[in-house]
This record gives sequence, structure tokens and C-alpha cells, in this order.
Amino acid sequence: MTERGRLESALERALTDDALSRRRVLGRGATLGLMVAGLAGCGIEGSASQTLASLQDEASSTRHPKAPIGDWTFSNWPLYIDKSVLKTFDKRYGGHVKYIEEINDNSQFFGKVRQQLAEGVPIGRDIVVLTDYMAAKWVRSGYVTPFDARNLPNKKHLVPNLRSVPYDPKRQFTLPWQSGAVGLGYDIRQTGGELKSFDVLFDPKYKGKISMLAEQYDSAGTVLLQQGKNPTKASVDDQLQAIEKLDKANQAGQFRRFTGNDYTTDLTKGNVAIALAYSGDLVQLQSDNKNLRFSYPDEGAMLFTDNMMLPAKVQHPYAAETMMNFVYEPKIAATICAYVNYISPVDGVRAILEKTNPDIASNELIFPPDEVRKKLYNYPNFSTAQEQTLNQAMAKVTGA
Amino acid sequence: MTGADRVRRWFLGVWSAFALAFLFLPVFIIILFSFNDNQGRFNFTWQGFTLAHWKDPFQNPDLARALSTSLEVALIATGISVLLGTLLAIALVRYRFRGRGAADFFVFLPMATPEVVLGASLLALFLVLNVNTGFKTIVIAHAAFCVSYVVVTVKARLEGMDPHIEEAARDLGAGTWATFFRVTLPMIAPGVVAAAVLAAALSIDDYVVTSFNAGQTQTFPLFIFGATRQGVPPEVNVLATMLLLTVLILMGVNVLAQKVAARRASAREEDAAPPDVGDVAEATPVVGAAGR
Amino acid sequence: MRQRSAAWLFAGPGLLWLLIFFAIPLVNQASVSLMSGDPEAGYTLTWAFSTYTDAISAYKPQFLRSFGYAGAATLIDLIIAFPLAYFIVFKAGRWRAFMLLLVVLPFFTSQVLRTVSWQLILSDSGFVVDRLKDIGLVASDGRVLATRTAVIAGIAYNFLPFMVLPLYVSLDKLDPRLVEAATDLYCSRVAAFRKVTLPLAIPGIFAGSLLCFIPACGDFINAALLGTSRQYMIGNVVQSKYLNVLDYPSAAALSFILMTLILVGIAIYGRLLGTKNLTEVAA
Repeated sequence: MTERGRLESALERALTDDALSRRRVLGRGATLGLMVAGLAGCGIEGSASQTLASLQDEASSTRHPKAPIGDWTFSNWPLYIDKSVLKTFDKRYGGHVKYIEEINDNSQFFGKVRQQLAEGVPIGRDIVVLTDYMAAKWVRSGYVTPFDARNLPNKKHLVPNLRSVPYDPKRQFTLPWQSGAVGLGYDIRQTGGELKSFDVLFDPKYKGKISMLAEQYDSAGTVLLQQGKNPTKASVDDQLQAIEKLDKANQAGQFRRFTGNDYTTDLTKGNVAIALAYSGDLVQLQSDNKNLRFSYPDEGAMLFTDNMMLPAKVQHPYAAETMMNFVYEPKIAATICAYVNYISPVDGVRAILEKTNPDIASNELIFPPDEVRKKLYNYPNFSTAQEQTLNQAMAKVTGA
Repeated sequence: MTGADRVRRWFLGVWSAFALAFLFLPVFIIILFSFNDNQGRFNFTWQGFTLAHWKDPFQNPDLARALSTSLEVALIATGISVLLGTLLAIALVRYRFRGRGAADFFVFLPMATPEVVLGASLLALFLVLNVNTGFKTIVIAHAAFCVSYVVVTVKARLEGMDPHIEEAARDLGAGTWATFFRVTLPMIAPGVVAAAVLAAALSIDDYVVTSFNAGQTQTFPLFIFGATRQGVPPEVNVLATMLLLTVLILMGVNVLAQKVAARRASAREEDAAPPDVGDVAEATPVVGAAGR
Repeated sequence: MRQRSAAWLFAGPGLLWLLIFFAIPLVNQASVSLMSGDPEAGYTLTWAFSTYTDAISAYKPQFLRSFGYAGAATLIDLIIAFPLAYFIVFKAGRWRAFMLLLVVLPFFTSQVLRTVSWQLILSDSGFVVDRLKDIGLVASDGRVLATRTAVIAGIAYNFLPFMVLPLYVSLDKLDPRLVEAATDLYCSRVAAFRKVTLPLAIPGIFAGSLLCFIPACGDFINAALLGTSRQYMIGNVVQSKYLNVLDYPSAAALSFILMTLILVGIAIYGRLLGTKNLTEVAA
């Protein structure tokens, strides 16, 4: 902090001084030198990993006593909630939730708040919603606040296959918001029939007409499934060889592109016949192109989940937990699901939607049948250093 | 006009038309798809005509607020960067001072820096200084990267302009500021206006730098980037179209107003003194009322 | 003395703003580029110059590609923009400001929307590509999207206004009577262009080229949306290093290498065009 103090006073001096006189101009060089020294001393803080065990210890004694709900902040992805739910919450519990749709990319959001988290400063948000691998990173690094389980009685409605994940075995730090499956999105007119296996991704018949996801958790996990392995239990070497296989196929021209969310245009317009795609997208795309289908292959599929979390040093934990509990009421969860059209993590939603939105209730992309659910795999859990190795390997494959 | 002139003019006109068509091709698609009756959340295929999105484009208050924030930021950031950049450009071209060569190169650096590094390093600075990120920091960031573009544009105007006119003004007793406001500024006005337009465009469209320094404030590009995951709603197309039309209409009105003013001015001149005023007006390229 | 203080009065505010909000963060990045560590333990300054050499050797293709694509796009922009700017200056009359605004107006829609629109327009079996196949510009089994052509075209499209405006600004200085005078003195139109118009347009060409080329080198969005892994530029690498791999030293090092190369390029280009002492108009 002394470095920061030096930096601040140097800046103050530079700012308040008259910039005109030549003496100050030359003095500017000296000030700059000082600032260089100050900044150079500033390293980048690491992510202060806590072990899961120590975090879990903390969790069992966390208490967030009831407090009046005033203004608090809920950060989420855009178009990820039915806004009427927020109004209902405010009416029932009082206060005013500031709902900000500022999360448009896991890494971008992390880049924005990383330094504050590393310094142990509140980030000004009470709930953030991040995808599994990013949630895992936050838990692993101690960037989350554990829940007070007494405020979350509705957690019992969490679907069985999400009750435990490798990075949060007792769901003490993360609570699923919505899930989606990473399966095969394809144009049935181009493929000539239904697709049942990830083998098609390496089938020369579709060379150049396939798009893969740039996120290695999605793509490499899918490759592991295609190889008959369990991706949730994958080791770093397993993952690396899967990335290697992707690299070879890409060099041979098997894949047209690696995409983020933007495979949707390619798939809709027929530029690719097959895309590794998210289930929720296909629900929407089918109205743009009636020939699009989504398949949960026989090998199974990766399941991604966006999770609600309390950031470290959260300022309104009671309000946040009340909201989390609220959206786990089956009726409320049904409202959200009807709007978002992803896989709800709350049990009993389908029964409610069967009466109000039967077409959604019967949509397998939103309510996968039980045999499929059994084969939906969570992302594996790696350390931050291992993840860096994997991301770097995948970056090479995608050309970056 | 000779035949060759006519051919030349025809060629230039056709070329310009094609160039503008090229520029506007995606814009036409954007406008078109604001009328698309999309059933799902994506807006990629034409599914029928509807005015539904136009009926209540501001129904999403966050979208409307994001757009107005973007416009406000653009206005302020353009003002700051044009002011700073124009003065800086004049200094770099007209004055000799120690460090001018270095400053000349230094001005190019913000343009050359990848946006990720630009945005992230500025955020780091704000955090060190304990400044809360939000509207103000967005404006600061935008002004910072726009200054370079302003400097380069204004310099293009200044370089090759006769410095003797300003010298003459000074010889005739005008001080630094008088020279600046009554001689230099009118001469470089087209450059300044062009720079302002560029800066505004850059600011309105910026994503990466803004995403780091926006805090919890939403701007139009931030909203749209975020919405691509779930499908950009056609209301976005509507708002973009409305923005374009507003600017176009304002501009068109401006042109017509100038036409009227010019007609009135020429009518007045015909009754006024003989045209020796005109020679002086031609020698000093001061910006007149109409057109140039 | 007066001259110098006036100079600082004019240059001071701008330079100060850039100093605080650009130079200082940049200096910080310079020190980051020499750090080593990992995201878990943190990074400390170790004067690791090897980061730079590693970066250059590992990403040579991306560097070359960036300069190649940016250069091609800039050239395309110059060719498209020059007649357009000429038309606006000399033939548009009262509608000049309006036309200039038209040139920039597409920017007031979002870049995402514009690029998605191009993806729709240029889709493999769409109207445009089919016509291009008819006239033979595209192979019958070829495509436009996800190629080098698409990326360069995308970059050219994005930066066209940056070429038009400086060209306009400098062509606007030209007094058409000078050209008239030249032709009166038995100069051919072409020679008049070469000897009168072009030299006066040089500052505009220089400025426009820089405003296009420099940011284009660091562009990543066009390669990401319109290209494949074989078209990724250095901007994509920096983006990935910073956000995904969290390798801040490499990202910073790559940025500085890019900046240095660009500055060298500017110096050479400026020397070639001889803009250093263009002060006198044939008045």
C-alpha cells in the first residue's frame, strides 16, 4: 500500500502543477520515473487459492441474519429472466433489486472484476451468475461467500443430477440458475437423417461443414464422450489428448470454424451442416429454419450450468439469498423457464408448465427425458494452473 | 463542361454511389429486419412483415437507457477529445517545441494498442486511484482513445496550409488567441468537424475498452454483445434505425436551411456594395455561411 | 519565449490527458510484460525479456497476417475512398456535409449488427454468393465467408470512413482554380492531377492510411466472426491471452511488439511520402 501511496501523491503533484513552465516539464520526467518505479513494484496479485476443505469449514458456520431488504444488485446475462419475477419479488419482500444484465461473457466479466476480487474489495454486486468453469475458478480462489443454508429451504427442489458437482460437492457456494446441453445441432436436409453419435464430428462426409465450440470444456469434453470416456472424471492428460485430436482434425480441414455463440448464423443459413450447439439456442433457431434439429447423442452430452453465487465480501447477503430461494419456488422457476427456454434446475417445473405451456413442457430440449438426463455430464474440475495449460493448448488450435 | 469532364463526373458519381451502397448494404439489412416477424428469439431469417417491434421499441427500459447513455457518452467524449486533439494538432504542426518529434509518434500509440490491453490497463489505473467505474470512466476512456484520431485528422488539414496567413494576422497585431479564433480555427473547421464525426462514431460503437471500464453502466454496444447469446431482439434494429433516421433528418433539415439562408444572402448581396468584397473573401479561405 | 509557452498551452492539455490515461497504464503494462508467474500465485517483476523473444517466434504467422490484411484493407480503402472523397469535395455542392455524414452513419448502428448482417448477406447459398459464382468470382464449390477474403473485406469495410474523412479534409484545401491554371498552361488533365491535386492530397492519404492501417493491425473481431483459425490475427492472440489464458505478461509483450512494429512502419511510410516538410501551398 505504500507503493500505492507513493503513486497517488506523485499523481496528485503532477495533476495540480502548472503544466506550462519548462521546469515542470522536465520535472514531469522525474515524476514519471517515480511512477514507473511505483508501478513496477506493483505485481499482479494471485488468486489466493483456498482449499475446498477450508472453504467448507467456513461454510458450515456462515450466518446471514435476516435484514431489511433495501437496494441490492443482481448481475446476470441479458435476456435471462422474466422481468415480472423481479417485480413480484420486490412486492413480496420489499426493497428494490437493481438487475443489471452486464455479464455477456464469463472471461470478460472476470477480467472486469478480477482485481477487486484479488484485493479483497467488494465488487458491488450481490449475486453474479457464471458458468460452471468460471464458478469453479471463483470457488477455488476464494472469491465467493458461502451460503447460510437456513435462508435457502427451497434448495431441496434442486434436481438430483445437479445436487453435487466436483467443485462444490455440497452446493454451499453455487446454486444453479439454468442449464443447457452441448449436443449436435444439425440441418436434417443436409445430413439426410437423424444423427445419433458424436462420431459424425469426425466423419469425412461432413468435412468442412462442421463448426466446433472454441471453449475447450465443451469441445474437448465432447471428444472424450466420443471416445467413450467419462469427461467429468477426466485428467489433464485426457483433456490434452482430446484437444490434440481436435487439432489434427482441424488441420485436415474437418472443421469450418471454432465459434463462441455465433455458430447460430452459420447453422441457420446452412453454411455448416452440423454444429456443436447449445440446446437452448436450438429451441429458438427452429423458428428461423424448420430443418434444424437437436440431438442428445447416444454417448451423452456435456451439461453446462450457469450458477448463482455470492461474491466475496458481499454486501447484501440476506437479500441475495432470499432471491435465490425465491427463484427455486417451482411456480417462479416455471415462469423463468417459460421465458428463457433452457433446462431448469428446479424439480416440478414440468408439471406446472404442462398446464400452462404444454408445448414447452413437451419439448425435449427443455425437459430432456430421464434416460438422457442420466447421460448429461458436468464439466471436470481442474486447478487454475491446469486450466491455463488447457486453455493455452486450445488457443493454439483455434489459431490464437 | 467538356465531354471528358462529363465522363469524369459520371464516373465519379457512379463510383461514389457504389461506395455508399457498399457502406449501407448491411444497414439496409438491419433496417429490413426491424420489420421481421420473428417467431423465435433470433432474427436471421425473414419470417414475415410486422410493425409490432415499431409499436413500442422502448418497452425494454434497459435497452433505451443503454442507448441514451451511449449518446451522452459520445457527446461528452467527442467534445473533450476534439478540444484536446485540435489544440494538440495545431501545436504539433505550427509550433516548434522540445519533444515535438516524440509527441508526434506518441500520439499514434493509442491507435496501435490492442483494445484489450488499452481497456484493461486503464481499468487497473482506475482501481489503483480508487475511482469507481461507471459513466465518468467510460467518458475518460473514450476521450483518451479518440484524441489520436482527432489529432491525425486535424493535422491532415493543417499540413500544407499556408502558415503565412496566420503570420500576417500576427503581424497586423492579433494576439495568440485572436489569431487562433479568427484565422486558424475557421481554416481548419472542416478538419475539426470531420474529426468530431469520427470521434463520435468511435465512441458510440466501442465495445472492448468500454466493457472493462463501464462498471455497472450499460452502453448500447455492451447490451447488444450480451444479447447475442440469447438472440438480439428486433427492438435493437428498430432503435438503430431510429437513430440513423434522426441524424439523417436533422442533417437534411440543415442542408435545406442553408439553401434558404444562401438564397436570402445572395438576394441581399445583389442590392449591396460592388463585388470587391468578393476578392478579399476569396484570398482568405475563411469559411462562409453556405456550403464551404 | 512566447512561442514556446503558446506551444505548451496548445499541446499541454492533450498530452496531459494522454499521459495520465494512456501513458501511465502503458508503463504499467510494460512492467507487466516483464513479469512472470501464474494466475494462482500471482505475478512479480522478473525482467523476463525472454517473453518477448518467445512471443515473436511463436506468433510470427499472426504478426505477418495482421500486417498483410491491414495493408491490403488499407489499400482497398484508399482506392474506394479517393474518388468518393473527390466527388464529395468538388461535385457535391451543398450536399457535402450530408454525404460525409452518410459515410460515417453506418457506425451509428452496432458493429455486431453490421457484422451479423454481412454474415447473412454473404451466406454460402445466399443471393450474393450465388451471383458471384455465376460470374465466376467464386468457385462453384467455394464460399466467401470463413475465408481470408471475407476478413480483409470486413476490415476494409469497418475502416472505410477513416480513409474518406482525412482525404476529404485535405482535398478540400485544393483551390480548383489551381487545376484550371495548370490546364491553361497546357498541362494535360492527368498531369495536372499528378502535379497539383495529388501532392496536395498527400497529407490526407498519409493520415487516412494511418487511421486505417494502425487500428486494423490490432483488429480481432473480423477474423473472429468472418474467418477461421487460419485467419486469426495478432489481435485475436492478445484477446485470448488476456481473457482466456490469463497470461498477462505475454499479452502485454505482444502488444508492445505490435506497437513497435507499427511505429517503425509509420516512420518509414512517412519518409516515403515525404510529408515532413509539406508546408507551402502554391499560393
